[in-house]
Amino acid sequence: MKMLSLLVVLPLIGAFLIPAIARISVSIAKFIGPLILLYLLSITMPAFMELQSGQSSAIHFAGFLPPYGIAFYIDELSLLFANIILIAFLMVWPWNKNNFSDNHSEIREYSLYLLLLAASSGLVLSSDLFNLYVFYELLAVASYGLIAKQPKIEGIASAASFRYLLLSASGSVLLLLGIALIYSLTGTLNIAHLSSVANESLNTFAGVAAFLLILIGIGVKAEMFPVNSWVPEVYGVISRPLSALFAGLISKIAVLFIAKVLLMVYQQDSILTMILFIGVLGVLTGELIAYRARDMVRMLSFSSIAQLGLVFTALAIPGKTGLYIAVAFMLHHLVVKSALFFLSEKMHSNHEHLKGLYHQSPFIVILFIFLILSLLGIPPFPGFWIKLNLVLNLSTITYGNVAIAIVLLATVIEAAYLFTLVKKMLANDESNKQIAYQTGYQSSYLFAVLLAIILLVSTFNISSLSKSIENMANNTN
Amino acid sequence: MSKFSTLIFISGLSFLLIVITAQLPIAHPPMLIGQYIIDHAVQDTGVTNIVTSVVLAYRGLDTLGELAILFTAASGVGLLLSNKLNTKLQPSTKTVRLSNSNFIIEHALNLLFPLLLVVGFYVIFHGHLTPGGGFQGGVIIASAFFLNILAKPYKSSDSEIESTHNNLTIIESLSGVTFIAIGLYALISGHDFLEPFLSHGQLGSLWSAGTLPFLYIAVGLKVGAELSSLLITLYDIDSEELTD
Repeated sequence: MKMLSLLVVLPLIGAFLIPAIARISVSIAKFIGPLILLYLLSITMPAFMELQSGQSSAIHFAGFLPPYGIAFYIDELSLLFANIILIAFLMVWPWNKNNFSDNHSEIREYSLYLLLLAASSGLVLSSDLFNLYVFYELLAVASYGLIAKQPKIEGIASAASFRYLLLSASGSVLLLLGIALIYSLTGTLNIAHLSSVANESLNTFAGVAAFLLILIGIGVKAEMFPVNSWVPEVYGVISRPLSALFAGLISKIAVLFIAKVLLMVYQQDSILTMILFIGVLGVLTGELIAYRARDMVRMLSFSSIAQLGLVFTALAIPGKTGLYIAVAFMLHHLVVKSALFFLSEKMHSNHEHLKGLYHQSPFIVILFIFLILSLLGIPPFPGFWIKLNLVLNLSTITYGNVAIAIVLLATVIEAAYLFTLVKKMLANDESNKQIAYQTGYQSSYLFAVLLAIILLVSTFNISSLSKSIENMANNTN
Repeated sequence: MSKFSTLIFISGLSFLLIVITAQLPIAHPPMLIGQYIIDHAVQDTGVTNIVTSVVLAYRGLDTLGELAILFTAASGVGLLLSNKLNTKLQPSTKTVRLSNSNFIIEHALNLLFPLLLVVGFYVIFHGHLTPGGGFQGGVIIASAFFLNILAKPYKSSDSEIESTHNNLTIIESLSGVTFIAIGLYALISGHDFLEPFLSHGQLGSLWSAGTLPFLYIAVGLKVGAELSSLLITLYDIDSEELTD
């Protein structure tokens, strides 16, 4: 179990080493990243298999027991995400690089990917608020570097990435402020320890304000309702695999952070209602703007905001049930949205130019339809069962009925714009045939197919899958 | 309109913060962890500067994270500026560098440079005994090198800068690896990652506190090299654009 701390340590050592090794041999430096990923996968996979249901353990650092030292908390959920992170990074690793003129930038980019990996693993595993902040900051700084270096950056695009930097940096400040407030109110940072003192010391105005600050701070990365204006801008300028990573994985990691704090420390009615409002507003605004979008990437970005809104809505359901539905939503969105972003590399980004895609490449359109059917929640695909569960459980909480109405309305809007797009793709338009289909990287296409197969398999195993996710959520503490 | 809404936002936020801070238990903070560390730090880690025991032992992983953030920021800046360089300038277009600085500045520098290095290393080596440590000492060392560039801009040729950059990259990388390697050694020998080993020694002497001084030396070198190379990168861009 102790070896799992390598999940954070090895990528860091790799990132530090790569620039020095590149001075000796660039080709050796290129292989460090994938080797680290594969080695870590060979540790986490067996650890995940061996972990009995309901079993959990803690990794201590520097030989001090929590709450005095930092601890990583290992349970099924965090190990599952640790595995997903490694697989996702293997997928988006910059294997085919041809947009770099010199080796220097390429090497730096490998370092940044490894740092992003270390930060993501740390965020999933750590159970100490300040340690989580450090990893969050590392994640943020690494993502500025990766976004800003994109070759498409110029003019408006670099303004977009600068706005992202400002928004994200002010989010970090608010997050730090929230954590500082919690520390000055309670005197501890360990989340498990906090949950034991939360009732007496965090049930105040200042305690709730601290949670709000944390929520807004993390919300920037989680694409939460008021602070998500960067999403379409940034996804528009970065490469599609990187968009898949940010929309699919990084946003979920941020939500997990919020879920950890919410579930362990802040199970108060007023806060849950607030989360419900934020989630529902996110769903509504996301779908409405996606409806107006005439561009593939913008549409996918706003639909991603709406899906994250659904996750927040699910978190508003108190206790383990909320976590179960939220985790199911996250896993579903992770598969579907990453697949859609990978797939979109094969399509023209403008909707009007997508006419007649079906006659050019029927398989891509079929794949696209399959993915959006599940995204919408059409039976019998996994998305349907999750949404059904959400609606059934929402009816039991305050304002739940309003939330149900809005979620269903948003689904109608989503169906409207997605099916309009599909209709365009199926149309028989000779003039557009040549531009609708783009030759992107074959690997992206392959990953899209792979993710769709995962979705298809889970459609047939839906009952056993939902049971194991439910167990996972119940055993989290 | 946007200025007005910014004003409303800022005043709302500051009002909120004032209300919140008024509720905080100022001067009587709850000391759940703080008291434990104050009571146990000296016997747990063998340092006389308790801050060091928190930075390197109790929260060593955070320090590693901070080092990584600094490294990330430096690589990000390097990535951006090197992209800019490639598209903008060919190295051959450079002709003149900045003008000479005067006699007084140059000699003051020659006097200051060794002093700054000594102070920097003193602060790093005594981090476990007196206030200061790797981060502070590292910045002092970086400032020594940067003064050098400020005072004698014309003296460094392209190849010199290139080789300094190379050396800095290697120092940076090796010191980061040293920090992690000390932690990994503890992990491999059956302890936790970053657990201090070696004996605590005589309390208050230079050679004490187990591995903590070594960790601080690694931190100091890394911070110093990182900041120096960041400054050199920035300087390099500036002086080249001046020749445009």
